[in-house]
This record gives sequence, C-alpha cells and structure tokens, in this order.
Amino acid sequence: MSLYQWLDRRLDLSSVRLALLDRAVPERLTWWHTLGSATLAVFVIQVVTGIVLATFYSPSPDHAYDSIRYIESQVASGGLLRGMHHWAASAMVVLLIGHLLRVFAFGAYKYPREANWLIGVGLFILVMAFSFTGYLLPWDQKAYWATMVGTSIAGTTPVIGGELVALLRGGGDLGAATLSRFYAFHVLWLPFGLGLLILLHLVLVIRQGIAARPGAMEAGAPPRTDDPAYPAHYDQAYKRSKQGDVRFYPDIVGKDAIASAVIVVIIFGLALAFGAPLEAPADPTDSSYVPMPEWYFLPLYQLLKLVPGRFESAIAVGVPGALLFAMIALPFFDRRSTRNLLRRPVALASLVVILGGSGLLLGAALRERQPIVSPEVGRPLSSMERAGRALYSSQKCNDCHAIAGQGEDKGPELTEIGLRHSVAWLHSFLEDARRFRGDTTEMPSFGPPTLSHQQIEELTQYLASLRGKPGSGIEPEYHDTFP
Amino acid sequence: MNPARRTFLKFATAVSSALSAGLVGWPTLRAFLSPAFGKPAGERWIKAGEVDQMEAGVPIRVDFTETVRDAWVEGRVTRGLWLYSEDGSEFTVYNSRCTHLGCSYGFDKERKVFHCPCHHGLFDMKTGAVVGGPPPRGLDTLETKVEDGILMVAYRDFREGVADKIPVS
Repeated sequence: MSLYQWLDRRLDLSSVRLALLDRAVPERLTWWHTLGSATLAVFVIQVVTGIVLATFYSPSPDHAYDSIRYIESQVASGGLLRGMHHWAASAMVVLLIGHLLRVFAFGAYKYPREANWLIGVGLFILVMAFSFTGYLLPWDQKAYWATMVGTSIAGTTPVIGGELVALLRGGGDLGAATLSRFYAFHVLWLPFGLGLLILLHLVLVIRQGIAARPGAMEAGAPPRTDDPAYPAHYDQAYKRSKQGDVRFYPDIVGKDAIASAVIVVIIFGLALAFGAPLEAPADPTDSSYVPMPEWYFLPLYQLLKLVPGRFESAIAVGVPGALLFAMIALPFFDRRSTRNLLRRPVALASLVVILGGSGLLLGAALRERQPIVSPEVGRPLSSMERAGRALYSSQKCNDCHAIAGQGEDKGPELTEIGLRHSVAWLHSFLEDARRFRGDTTEMPSFGPPTLSHQQIEELTQYLASLRGKPGSGIEPEYHDTFP
Repeated sequence: MNPARRTFLKFATAVSSALSAGLVGWPTLRAFLSPAFGKPAGERWIKAGEVDQMEAGVPIRVDFTETVRDAWVEGRVTRGLWLYSEDGSEFTVYNSRCTHLGCSYGFDKERKVFHCPCHHGLFDMKTGAVVGGPPPRGLDTLETKVEDGILMVAYRDFREGVADKIPVS
C-alpha cells in the first residue's frame, strides 16, 4: 500500500484532489492568467527570504544599518538573499498590477466576482503598505528621507493629518519608535492580513471557478448583470465554457509553474547581478540629500513636481485616493454585461489615460533621476552644488569669469578655483569682495540683500567643486589670506 | 486535451517547481545555517599581571575587558581567569567558565576547591581536575608565558558540556 493510499483511506484525499486539482476549468485560458499565481509565488519568496532576513536584523536606529551590513558581509549568501527580497518586492508590484489589469481587461470583476475584486483591491493596498514599511528598515539615507517625505505627505491629509502622521511615526518625529512600528507592521501585522486575504481570494477562486474568456460569456447575455435573468444565463454559459475537458491540474498548474519559475529565475538573476542597494547610514542632519521614492511611486512623485504647491496635498492624497475609490466602486458602478475590453469604450479610454499618464510620468521621472554629471566637475553635483550652479548662471558670473573655456575673461578664470581657495574664504569673498580687493574692485558683493546667506553658501559649494580637470587627483592647496 | 501535452505539463510542473524551490531555498538555507559554520576566533594574548605581585598557593581571580565585535554590535565584554601558582614562578591559568554549562565558578576557601554554583561542579585547584559533580572534563587550562616580568595568557573559550576541549569562536 502506498503512502498516498494509506493517507487517502484515513483523510479521503481523493475528494480533495477531485475538488481542487481535477476540477474542470474554462477553455482557452491565456498566459495572462498566470499572473495571479506568479504573484502568489513571489509572495512565497518574500515570506521565505524575509523570515531569514528577520533572523539577522535588528530594528533599532542604533543597529539596523549595521545589521544590514552584517547580512551583506558576514552571512553566507546574505547579499543574494537581500537582493532577492529587494527584487521580488518590485516583481510583486509589477505582477500584481499586471494581474489587476488582466482582470480589468477581461471584465472578470463583473458578476459573480465583485467580492473577489474587492479582496484584490485590499491585497493591492496591503502590498503597497508592505513596500512603504519595508523601505525604511535598512535605515540608510534613502530609507530615512523617503519615509520622512512619505509620512509628511500623509500629514497633509485634511482634518486628521496631524494625528495620522503621529500614528505612522509613533510620535512627532521619525525615529526609534517609527522603525520599531514599521518593522512590526512589515513582519507581523501585514503578513497576517495579507495571508488572510490571500486565503479568502483563493477560496473564492475555487468556489466560483476561474473566469472564462469574455467571448464565452457574452453571447445571448442580458445587457446588464443586475437583470434578474442574468444569473441563470451566467450559470449556463459558464458551464458550457468548461466542457472542453480542461482540468486545473496539470493544464493550468503546468502553465502557472512555468511562468512562476521564469519569474523566479529573473529575480534570482537580478539579485545575483545587482544585489540590493544600500546607501550611507541615515543622517537626519543632512540637508543636501534628495530622496527618491521607489519606482512605483515615481509617477505620483513626478506629478507633484508639476503642480503648484498649494495643490500639492490635494494631488498627493487625492490622486491615489481617487484611484482607490474608483477601484472599489468599479464592480458596483459598471454593471453592463459586456466583458470584451474592445466593446467597453469608457473602460478602454480610462485604462489608456491612467496607464499612458503613469507611463509618461514614470518616464519623465526616470530621465530626471539619472544623475547629471557636470563636465566641469566630473561627477554628479550635490543639491547644494546644483543650486549654486543655477545661481552662477542667473547672477551672470560668466559675463566676467570663465570655467573650462566657457565665459568671458574680464575676471580671473575659475576652472580650478576649488584647488586654490577654501570654502570659508570663498564664502567671505563672495559676501563682500571689497573687503578683500578694495572699493575699486569690479567684483560685486553678493551679501544680503543681493543673495541670502544660504544662496551664498550654495554658490560657494559649487565654486569649491571646481577643481580643474576631473579625476586629475590633484589635492587642493589653499592660499587664503583674510583681510 | 491532448495526452502528450498533459504529460508534458505534468513534467513541466515538477521541473519548474523544483527549479523555483531550489533557487529560493538554496540561498535561504545557506544564510540561515551560516552561523553554524563560522570559524572559531583565534586566541588572544592577555596581560594577566606582574609575576612578583602574585600570591603563591592561593588561586587568584583576574578579570579583564576586551573590545569584541559581537555580530553587528561593537562592545566591551568582561571575561575572567583563575590563576594558580604553587611556587610563584610556574602558573596554571584556567578559563573562568565552568566546563559543564558555562557558568562562572568561584573558589571555596575552606575546602580548597573551585565550586560552580549552578550544578555544584567541583574542581581541584592545583590541576583543575573534576573532583565532584557533573562536569564532563577538567577546567580549561590556557597557555601562558612570562615577558619582562608580566604574565601573559592566551585567552580563548571552549565548548561546554563535552568531554573534549574544543575551541569556539
């Protein structure tokens, strides 16, 4: 007697097998239908890699960053493991959105699957919460500042903003309490919630069956799904769609397993090749760091740059809120029985607008994200230096000075100014050149009110970065004399 | 459905699942198990004190602190030694952790034995041999040398609870 027979006699596995694996499913399901199970597979990766990462991680500002460094340098395959967790997080968002779009495009959120669509929306929210909380855990510059911005955005919510931001941060400031609660959410609250919703999602998929292709459900259908005759039509049409002798196992499972394996290989490859980023440790006093959100928040980030400041909170909270509301309202609002996307002009147009708009914004944001290497400095500039460079041109410095051959020669050339003078000297000189050169000097004094002290410092930082031919390796030798 | 296609899909399910499980499982398991295969820390020479200041015939407890890298935390840890000399020139130095389960033992002046309070292990003060209780081996002696009148001790820890003296990290 085989082990299977032994267990079957006691647990009646055959009926489970019949209900789960041998069940008939609709014909001609596409490869798009594998996106849901691939998302699930990636979730399993996150659970497995996440548990081991948590085994080595310390959720306190004193030790979080060092424990990540420890994982990267001391734990066997630690860097690979962290890389997989990082890339799988992105993959999960991509696959989830892909799955959502597939369900939307196939009209699969319509009768009788409205509830499962809503559970799916819940899963979407939780996955976003996962990325938001996971982002802080390495406690590097990016983590700290992106969370600072993210929680501040929540703080702009009307009426409850103040309470909301304090709730997110565990107090007024971003610190130990924030890290601890983000960790607890990331490894306890959210996995529990997500696990529960996934279970419900799958139970409903098994109870209601996989949605058939739109064509199979549309022939002879009443125009609206709230028509009393629609359920009977649906049941008949769905039954017909399952008559092609397609079984869940191996016909569907096989394709799912292949698709998931392809995704796993891609994630593994990316992790092996690139690992996961880790910047300098979080520095709450750094005023020059420009935080960037994770790529899936970039369209919103870019949109915020395009709107005037007074609309910022309306956009930052309003746009995601409106999208979420639209997703929740969709199955109740759209009750036409048409499922083919090409015959749903409003749905098609909305999809094009949302996807196209997000795509354009994402593209613009990615282009801007490329650090621009200034040829005269030979490296990307810090935000202070960038501001200084803008002042250099707006104050028309190049009417008198030249940098690397660009500009006039009335005043001294500045190509190597950073090698000859210290930041302190440059700042004082810019502020009041007459103190250094006498009242007859043609060099204007830029002290207030012409420029603020902050602006003078920005200009100073830019000038200090000018050190001749990039990469020459020449050390500065200051010849500063103060009056 | 074509039977050949079905056979292929069953095969694909098995192969794909095994591939996925392997790619995820291998680094995960390796990382999880990595502490078990760490290398033992080397011995480090500690200054235990000036030889001519040490009393003969009575065990002396010496504590020292060292900076250690404890995973991702750098900190200072206090460790201990027991020194014994019959004549004031030849020293026997014991690691201050009991070989049974790692407790810190003391010296019983009346009975002239080392006594571990946890499970009443007893050790001879001159040789470190077990004279009573559960310890599986005698006290761990450490290598010593005298340099310019200073007693130096090669400190290291050993695995507790086993009969053999095996260095640990």
